Order: sequence, then structure tokens, then C-alpha cells
Amino acid sequence: MRQHGPATHSPRLQLWVGIGVVLAALGLAAGAYTIPSASGYAGIGPNFLPWVVSLALLACGAALVVKASRGGFQNMDDHSGEHPYWQGFAWLSAALLLNAALITVIGFIVSCALCFVLAARGMRLAEGKSATGLASVARDALVGLLIAAPVYWAFTKFLGINLPGLTQSGWL
Amino acid sequence: MEVWDLLLQGFATAGTPVNLLWAFVGCALGTAVGVLPGIGPATAVAMLLPITTQVEATASMIFFAGIYYGAMYGGSTTSILLNTPGETATMVTAMEGNRMAKSGRAGAALATAAIGSFVAGSIATVLVTLFAPVVAEFAVTLGPPEYFMLMVLAFTTVSAVLGQSTVRGLTALFAGLALGLVGMDQITGQVRYTAGVPELLDGVEIVLVAVGLFAVAEAMHAVLFEGRAVESENRLSRVTMSLSDWKRSLPAWLRGTAIGAPFGCIPAGGTEIPTFLSYAAEKKLAKSEHKAEFGTRGAIEGVAGPEAANNATVTAAMIPLLTLGIPTSNTTAILLGAFQNYGIQPGPQLFSNSASLVWALIASLYIGNVMLLVLNLPLVGLWVKLLKVPKPQLYAGIMIFATVGAYGMRQSAFDLFLLYGIGILGLVMRRFNFPTAPVLVGMILGPLAEAQMRNAISIGEGSALIFFQRPMSLAIMGLVVLILTVPRVLKWHSERLR
Repeated sequence: MRQHGPATHSPRLQLWVGIGVVLAALGLAAGAYTIPSASGYAGIGPNFLPWVVSLALLACGAALVVKASRGGFQNMDDHSGEHPYWQGFAWLSAALLLNAALITVIGFIVSCALCFVLAARGMRLAEGKSATGLASVARDALVGLLIAAPVYWAFTKFLGINLPGLTQSGWL
Repeated sequence: MEVWDLLLQGFATAGTPVNLLWAFVGCALGTAVGVLPGIGPATAVAMLLPITTQVEATASMIFFAGIYYGAMYGGSTTSILLNTPGETATMVTAMEGNRMAKSGRAGAALATAAIGSFVAGSIATVLVTLFAPVVAEFAVTLGPPEYFMLMVLAFTTVSAVLGQSTVRGLTALFAGLALGLVGMDQITGQVRYTAGVPELLDGVEIVLVAVGLFAVAEAMHAVLFEGRAVESENRLSRVTMSLSDWKRSLPAWLRGTAIGAPFGCIPAGGTEIPTFLSYAAEKKLAKSEHKAEFGTRGAIEGVAGPEAANNATVTAAMIPLLTLGIPTSNTTAILLGAFQNYGIQPGPQLFSNSASLVWALIASLYIGNVMLLVLNLPLVGLWVKLLKVPKPQLYAGIMIFATVGAYGMRQSAFDLFLLYGIGILGLVMRRFNFPTAPVLVGMILGPLAEAQMRNAISIGEGSALIFFQRPMSLAIMGLVVLILTVPRVLKWHSERLR
């Protein structure tokens, strides 16, 4: 539930969030600068809203920076677990990025099964379980295939949505 | 009466075996995603948006509405049985429901939640049936200036009022508006913010943003921070209510409905406020012998009221969505996206141009409520088994469905990389308590609002004074200013008194 008063986690990180918003706003403003302002009847052109959004985000970013440097954001939720487990995050990232890189190469089913194995491994390590041996990898691979294959068939055969296959057969 | 004829026709369309099947699958799937932690109705509908390219509009809207509803029923099951509430909508249910379950009354809590949802959902559907056509008729008279102001009102309430921090809400809103800017400008065709990437010419897909912000960010958050979190599950008892439970629940359901429905109708959605209000009302109105149960053994009114308020709000939110085309929550924003995929723009014309679709959808709400009552009362034991799915497999499986949603929409691997990026954005937002609804509402409503604004100023012959010259638009503007200033003035006043 809500917790009033200063946040439980570091205002230094919050400062970076604020700075990130400011930088994003500046980037948007640079983009808005390049959009022509052919306005026609409206009197305002396609560059109007980009400018509004850039300036508003800049103001929000500045406000966040101010809040972060004055004791942190207000009304933050309680956080469970203050120490991020980066190793698990790396496994999950690998799962998603490899999937993105390989899906058109090795097909939906195999690529998603690989994603399943890597993501499950990351989460399992995060839970502190040591069951990461060959047997558990094999089991995850099997479960991943058992989910990915029917999903692939259901979407391609029944719903007519194109997903990449390894072969042209439409089954793998 | 004309409305009943139209509704009957709606039942005829929604009652065909194929559409009934879509409704049933939607309700079942919705209940499942509601029960499963880590995936909610917005994510589920978003992941399945690619089917809009193949499935006929009426069938898929019935399907999506089933998911939307089902998740509300399923969500309460999780918050009663687990010690971690799922979405904010069921947070209040969790407070009393969990205590009831701990003292061995899980069955009664589940029953009052399901029946209360049914009662509130049905009453609110009647309200939708009666009032949506009236609102639509009125909405026809609104011009671009009024529409633009209504959208500004929706932006304001979604970002500045509902969250915990105005600044963070507004940051999320403008981030969403920025995402909505990517691609071709609707009026002039001018290309904006594509960085030369051809995939971005059509804009950022809403599926990507929704699935990235919810599913991927949720998995990232879980793997980073929740690995060691211990969950305890309460034991399920027989799902039944005693006579005194009925006596205590019935007025609570009706009060919850009365509180929830108006909140859904105004373009200022969100279920947080009505559920909290209902909870507060029940606590205040409870008979003295029951008052002690609040916060200790768990009071059944504290589950019945908020749960009814929740469903009434969610159902009544269909009115602004269908008649004005204004979404007020994550899920309704995505439903609007689904309509857009069919080239249908919800709004007053919807009731004349796509009458059969609208009435079939409304009829399916009645049908879905009955289906969900059956799915959730006798079969609740089945859904509870879903809570036994281990976390690693659950999140890994969700990643597969996320891939289907993100890739299936445009068949582009680029979108999967973008999905990862949006996941990181969602993770940061989640960690620092930025609300997500403003992002989606801003992204979807942004381009529409921009078009309305430019049309309005064209009508005013290049002058923004047009917004002040029309009474309706001026009135809504006044409302926006009040919403932004009154809470601040009150706070300042109460601080000065102290």
C-alpha cells in the first residue's frame, strides 16, 4: 500500500530518472525543430504538438530532478527486495534479444522454445534454486516446445496469422 | 421501445453458436489471465490484437469484451487466495478478502465477490443499454472544440488525479503522447520521429507498447526483485454463503454498484477511487457487531461492496468508450485500438453506422455475465489450480505469448527489439512508481486529440479563441481547471489549519 514520507530507495537513482526525462525532452525538441510548420487553415502545423510535448516533458523532467534532489519522490509504494538480481536479468534479456535476432532464422517454434529455456533459467536462478542442470534444461526445452508448437499451429492454421517457420511446410 | 428491438437484434447476433463460442472462450481466457499473476486483461487483449487482421469485427469485439470482464472476476480470486494482490482494481478486495480467507471463510468471500460482480455487472449493463444511445445522440451535437476539450479532460483525470503523483502522471502522459507522435501526421502526412526506420512510418504498434509495458516489464521486475518473495496461499473452503452473508452482502452490492457506475460513465475512469469509496462507505455503515471484523477477521461487506463497485465501473466505462471514443483505462484504451484496426472509430456515429456490432457487443455483456457466474462459482476450484503454476514457467510462457502479439501484428523482427526497449522503459516506470495508464491513453488518444485540435482551430479561422467561444467547450475547460486546482487548494488550506 501507499507509504507517505520519503521514499525507501535512493534519491540518487531518482535523480537519474529525472535527468533521463530531461534528455528525452531535449531529444524530442531537437526532432520538433526539424519538422516543417506548413500550417494551412489550422494556423498550427504538424510541428505544434511535438513542441508542446517536448516543453511539457522538459518541465516534468525538471520537476522530477527538483523532487529527487529534495529528499526524493513522494508517495512511493513499498518495495519488495532492494537488491536487484542482475544475473537473472541478463538471462531474461538474452532470452528476449536472441528471440528477436533468431526468429526469422530458426523459425517461431525453436526460437520461442529457446526463449522459454533462457527466461525460465533466469527466473529459477532468481528464486535461488540450484535446479539448473541438464535435466532441468531439457525439461524446460520440452515444455517450451509444447507451448510454442500449439501456439504456432493455432495462430497460423486457424487464425491465418503469419509467423515465421523453419521450413515451408507450415508445421515447423 | 426502439432500444429493446435493437437489443433483441443484438442478442440474435451475439447468440449465434460461433459468437457464443467466442464469448465463452473470451470469458474463460479472461478468468484465467485474471487468476494468473503477472498478466492482466490489458496484456491479454493486447497480445491477441493480431487476430483483428483475420477475425470478423463483431466476433473479436465479443471475444475481447469477454476477456475484459473475465479478468475482473478472476482477479478477485487471486487477491482473496494469495497474499499478493494482482491489479490495483482488486487491491481493496484483497484487504478484507484475504483476512476472511485466513480465518477460513475463503469460500464465502469468493462467492460474494462472484455474485456481487454479476449483480453489479448486470445492472451496469442495463445502464449501458439505456444511456449509451442517449449519450450518443447528445454527442452528435459536439464539434471538434468540444471533443478536444473532452479529451483534455480524460488526459487530466487519467494522469493528474488518479495516480499518486501529478508530476509522474503527467510525465507518463507526455511520454505516451510522444510515442503517439511517431509516424505520419494524420492531417498533412508529414513524417515525424521515425529516425529513418521504415517500420516506424506506420507509428508504434499499440500491442508493442502494451505488451512491453506490462508483460515484459513485469517479468523483468520479477526476475530482478521478486525472486525471493514468499507467497502464501490460503486454503479454499466450500464456496457458499449463509443467510446472514446474503443479508449483509446484498445492500453492499447495491451500494457498490451505485458508487461505481457513475465513475465509469464520466470520462475519468480508473477503478481505484470508486472501490476505495465503496470500502469506506461499507466500513462506516456496518452494524456495530460487524464493525470489529473490518481489518481483523475480514468483513464480508468489505469484499462485496468494492467488488461490485469495481465491476460497475468497468462496465459503465463502455459508455464513454462507445459513445465518445474516449478510453479511461488501459484495457479500454486497447479496445479502442482494436476498433481502430477495423477502421472503426468509436463515437456517436458508431450507433448509426455500426449498429449491429454495438448491439451485439452490448448483448454479449449480458451473456458474458451469466457465463462468468457459472465459470466462477461451481468451477472456482479449477481456476485455483492455475495458482500452482511455478513462476519460472509462468513468466517464460508469457514471453512466448508476448512474442506472438508483438511479431504477429506486422511480421517484423524489428518490433521484437523495440519490445525489449519498451520493456526496459516499463521496468523503470514500475520501479519508480510512474503510472502506465496515461502512457497508453496518451498514445492512442493523442493523435485523435491533435486532429480535433487542428480542426477546431481551422473552424476558428486560425484562432484558439474558438475554445472559449463555445459554451460546452468553455464549461469542460473550467472543469479541467477545477480538477487541477481544487485538490491543491484544499491541501494548502488543511495544512494552514494545522
